[in-house]
Amino acid sequence: MSAPNEDNFSSHAQLSSEFFGEILDSLIVDVASECHRIARLGLDRNLDEEEEELRLSAEARARVTDPSNSSEANGKYVVDIFGQTHPAVANEIFECMNCGRSIMAGRFAPHLEKCMGKGRKARLKATRSSTAAQTRHSRGSPISGYSPYSNSTSTNRISNGGVSHVASDEYSNGTQEEH
Amino acid sequence: MAPSNHWDTTSSPCNHLADYKLKRGVNCYSMIQQYVRTNPYGRARIEESQTEVARCSFCCGLQGRLYMCLICSSVSCCLTPESNHAVLHSQSFRGHEIAVDLEMAELYCCLCSDQVYDPDFDKAIMWKHVMGLTRTENGELRMKHSKRKRLSFGLDLDLKSVKRLFSFGDQKSKSYLPLGLRGLNNLGNTCFMNSVLQALFHAPPLRDYFLSDRHNREMCQKRLSDQLCLACDIDAVFSAVFSGDQTPYSPAQFLYSWWQHSENLASYAQQDAHEFFISMLDRIHEKEEKANHVLRDYGDCQCIAHRSFSGLLRSDVTCTSCGYISSTYDPCIDISLDLDTSTPYLTEVGRTSKSSETTGTSTLLGCLDLFTRPEKLGPDQKLYCENCKEKQDALKQMSIKKLPLVLCLHIKRFEHSAIKRLSRKIDRHLQFPFSLDMKPYLSSSVLKKRFGNRIFSFEGDESEATTEFEVFAVVSHSGMLESGHYVTYLCLRNRWFKCDDAWITEVDEDIVRSSQCYLIYYVQKVLCHKGSEEVSCQPISPRADSFVPIAGC
Repeated sequence: MSAPNEDNFSSHAQLSSEFFGEILDSLIVDVASECHRIARLGLDRNLDEEEEELRLSAEARARVTDPSNSSEANGKYVVDIFGQTHPAVANEIFECMNCGRSIMAGRFAPHLEKCMGKGRKARLKATRSSTAAQTRHSRGSPISGYSPYSNSTSTNRISNGGVSHVASDEYSNGTQEEH
Repeated sequence: MAPSNHWDTTSSPCNHLADYKLKRGVNCYSMIQQYVRTNPYGRARIEESQTEVARCSFCCGLQGRLYMCLICSSVSCCLTPESNHAVLHSQSFRGHEIAVDLEMAELYCCLCSDQVYDPDFDKAIMWKHVMGLTRTENGELRMKHSKRKRLSFGLDLDLKSVKRLFSFGDQKSKSYLPLGLRGLNNLGNTCFMNSVLQALFHAPPLRDYFLSDRHNREMCQKRLSDQLCLACDIDAVFSAVFSGDQTPYSPAQFLYSWWQHSENLASYAQQDAHEFFISMLDRIHEKEEKANHVLRDYGDCQCIAHRSFSGLLRSDVTCTSCGYISSTYDPCIDISLDLDTSTPYLTEVGRTSKSSETTGTSTLLGCLDLFTRPEKLGPDQKLYCENCKEKQDALKQMSIKKLPLVLCLHIKRFEHSAIKRLSRKIDRHLQFPFSLDMKPYLSSSVLKKRFGNRIFSFEGDESEATTEFEVFAVVSHSGMLESGHYVTYLCLRNRWFKCDDAWITEVDEDIVRSSQCYLIYYVQKVLCHKGSEEVSCQPISPRADSFVPIAGC
């Protein structure tokens, strides 16, 4: 019982092995044919140049990571091509074109962000003052509406006198977006 | 050395094939043509019968390579060099020397024992492809193009009006520094901006445009009418950087102006250099376009940003069922490439290999190959085929229809992990060449390759000559996705300079090669001058008459 099975098995294995071999051979010759055409028609990229570039790149990386080589001057304490050194934070001072204040170059961006009313912190500040104004309005009168633009609040403003007036001023300043 | 893009005349049809053609005349391939079968993927094969498998007429065998004789169309096999029935056939029948390989539809000369090539044969095969797709009245290859009209570019840039700049005097002296090198102060997390600006200062078309005063601040219409004009501010920065002043410049006015134009990006935070680059080009385009008062199709725009950076990408979607190709063209101002992580190129140049994360190197050519590789669209992405009138599986392939003057390659160094739901930066090293030939990625080459590199000229072959590029700027990044530092390397007159905010230093090529590139700027070779070398003034192509030699002075 085992003998015929074994035979079948081995002949199956042999057959499939043969088929696989043929398919593989066929594929290999297909690829060879493609490459032959590419090479004969001169369509292949200049492989020499490519290999050269790869080699240069590999050598470059090796040289750079070699600790024995004088390392490329890193960090901010180097002398530039003009023979100058510069502080880590740029210290040139100029006028902000938005508000006119004198600002140090290295701190210009954060200043401008607040100055122009952009950015998270500036927006938070605006909402803080506006909610403050609103809470003051609502505290002032039980019938006051939420919107500061409605007539009821203006009535409130008048009725509450100075405090609310100041609050509404703050509110309008906060929402002013400079462009 | 003969240009590699032409039909190499040194390997013209062998004598035997030439003889055959002479004898048979024009219809020498008409007989074999009837047996050519093409598949939607672009390959051709020879099939005598659709119901029976081909067998060798000598041994009735199925094994080995099968060849069909061109003259009598009998099939012979070639198992081994010793058992070659194809050759036997050619010996038995005089004159039956040329055969065709069934699998690949390639000519085989039994006397030369080699595969041979003939443009007429390839043309015959290609016509079969043409017929196999969709037929029109005059048998033209009908491929659907999107309604975006075909644009003819060519070197029509008005480089003629560019003044000869840069008299350098004795440029052979190493101590002489190229113009246009000036540090840019970091105004607070603005290295992303500084790095891109440094690259753009030395993009030849852009540099020449601003330095030859093509945008005059005094006469700018927008300025005069009290409107914002980013180009004016860019002009100011160019003037400052090329003024010869060596103290670092603070591009504060520019930052202010840019923030007013791009509100969504206006914040004190570390940002992406690529995003800034796109934003800046967008703003230049907007303002210029309005100034010209002409409504232009996006791809035709003549603003300096587009004239410098705009190229055209082609996307082909092939129906795998019938082979119908649907092509669309889209303009682009840069190309974003995924990192080719498939085949790690192990670099063992005498150094002990360190941690496993850096054992693989990607190459720029590998990334470009990946970009132009045919991609099988997934089963959930079936597209409607106009020929089959139903949804079918499709293949998509990108290629470059028209190359820009300045090519910006953006390396996508981030990956998103859907599982962890976060993005990660890929620090893998990318090898990039200093000289880049973009020919293999052009639509003509890609299309040609798809059809087996047959010698056949496709519709609208692009001008061949302007495919060579030279690198002039590399923006590199170090650090993490959320925070890091950008530095630009500039190649001026064959010397490399590192621009790290306010610090300009000269560096060795090695540093540049081993840096972690993020944006690589290449310019067409014809537009760049290299040190004391004479700029070669070879004619680009017969078509580009407007070529102006920018001689190195």
